[in-house]
Amino acid sequence: MFTDAMWAIAHKELSDKLKSKWVIVIGTGFALFTLVISYFGGATAGVTGFMSLDATIASLTSLVTYFIPILALTLGGGIIADEQEKGTLGIYLSSPISIGEFIIGKFTGLVIALVLSIVAGLGIAGAVLLWKIGLGSAGTYLIFVLNSVILGVTFLSASFLISVLFYERTKVIALTIFLWLFFTILYDLGLIGLLIITKGNVGTDVFSMLLMFNPVDIYRILNFVSIGEFQVMIGLASVDFPTYIRPSMLWGISMIWIIAPLGISCYYFKKRYLE
Amino acid sequence: MILKLENVSKSYEQIDALNTVSLEVKEGEVLGLVGPNGSGKSTMLKIMLGIIRPTSGKVLINGEELSGKKWIEFKKSVGYMPERVSFYDNLTGKETLQLFARVKGGELSNIKDVLGRLLPEDVLLRKVGGYSKGMRQRLNLAQALVNEPGFLVLDEPTSGLDPVGTKQFYDILEEVKERKKLTAILSSHILAEIEDKTDRVAVMKNGSLKAVGRLEELCEGMNMPLRLYITIKRKDECLEKVLMKEGAVELGYKNGYLLASIPRENKLELIAAIMEEKDRFTDISIREPSLEEVFFGVH
Repeated sequence: MFTDAMWAIAHKELSDKLKSKWVIVIGTGFALFTLVISYFGGATAGVTGFMSLDATIASLTSLVTYFIPILALTLGGGIIADEQEKGTLGIYLSSPISIGEFIIGKFTGLVIALVLSIVAGLGIAGAVLLWKIGLGSAGTYLIFVLNSVILGVTFLSASFLISVLFYERTKVIALTIFLWLFFTILYDLGLIGLLIITKGNVGTDVFSMLLMFNPVDIYRILNFVSIGEFQVMIGLASVDFPTYIRPSMLWGISMIWIIAPLGISCYYFKKRYLE
Repeated sequence: MILKLENVSKSYEQIDALNTVSLEVKEGEVLGLVGPNGSGKSTMLKIMLGIIRPTSGKVLINGEELSGKKWIEFKKSVGYMPERVSFYDNLTGKETLQLFARVKGGELSNIKDVLGRLLPEDVLLRKVGGYSKGMRQRLNLAQALVNEPGFLVLDEPTSGLDPVGTKQFYDILEEVKERKKLTAILSSHILAEIEDKTDRVAVMKNGSLKAVGRLEELCEGMNMPLRLYITIKRKDECLEKVLMKEGAVELGYKNGYLLASIPRENKLELIAAIMEEKDRFTDISIREPSLEEVFFGVH
């Protein structure tokens, strides 16, 4: 049950981001990026202008995989350290709310702020795109936006775990950068290394399973399987996938990626304080 | 509401922050908690508030051990004013109080009359980022009272307040206490300040409770000497000799007084001896040792 205390905490987090113009700045910046990429996405092939939806989504997927994870990680990374520094953590912990209510309240507020900025960022580019190529592709684009939101929420959840594990701001920043590098670059490099070492003799099932351990890869595959037959996907996500990998399954795995870090955050926070 | 700690200990890895502490806070009393830094005061307060759990021992309310959801129930009646809170610079004082009122299940109207004296309306509508340290402390007290607590924990509450603010703070506390039959714990380093604000005092050192009781009881228990103040016009060796003959020690002159520490058991004999020399002074008074003296006596 979402209690009034949780709404109060969520409202405070959201209004912080709205008042500080965080949502507007990030949303506008993101919108500019998406518009530029949508327009110049085919420049390497000597073509400019708004192209097909598939090509644009492929280009935007690359942008989103780098931009949204770091955005979400920095959004929640210092959430507990901030309360500790301000001395307000003790007030929350002496209040008649559970650790879960405190964490979920904060998470909800930041999820709304993140969703607003992602929807604003991708929405503006989407509106322009759909205006140029027709509203028939609106559903496809909405799925892409939904997948991007899920990616953001996944990394926001991870940022809460960082926040609970480390109260020192320097450690939070270091781990945030490491996680971002790990999931956006290093993990896939590791998989490429594995393919080289095994000379490609990694079974499709095993390889697909390994991809599920990286939410960025899940996002790429999700766009691939949920949006359809665009062939311009780059990187590891363009390998052949077993037919049983369906959007619903990937959305389910994404939910685990959201719930698990948040659950561990609540558990660890409780353990750290109450045991 | 009677809060009781029973053999409570708390260890962090290999450090014993609290060592088998037993303490009862009686209903309606103000308990002063004193001790040097690192003595375990904060750890004890946090255990009482359910912010941290003890490694061993029990916390009881009205004889019932607190665990699980009973903590949440207890916290509904708790007000906590932590030391050093800066709050959120981007929120106004009013928004801050509204936030904590909702988190604690209280309402801003609960403290309407007190709030007017703590923070005027125009200050309340300003962003906390522009508040002085004293204003933040007043806001801190207001948030601690916003759920109309029955049990109030104040950690170094007047730190950052000027003398006027300090007096006003204790006036408001007294008023709230009278009205609500409040039980409170007041932790402070300024021993003289809480001396006459508390019903009992608990003295801590190295994670252990060294002494608990009314100030007079503590002084008597430790047989601490009384302080004698004799108002004189000039240095008087004759009076000094009389005092020393009756066992007075630590004689000295300060601000027109001849000061001395006198043993409790000799009090009457000493007064009788001095009264024989009553032409040599204009006034005389005997006082209990200050909390500061008790505190250092215990240590």
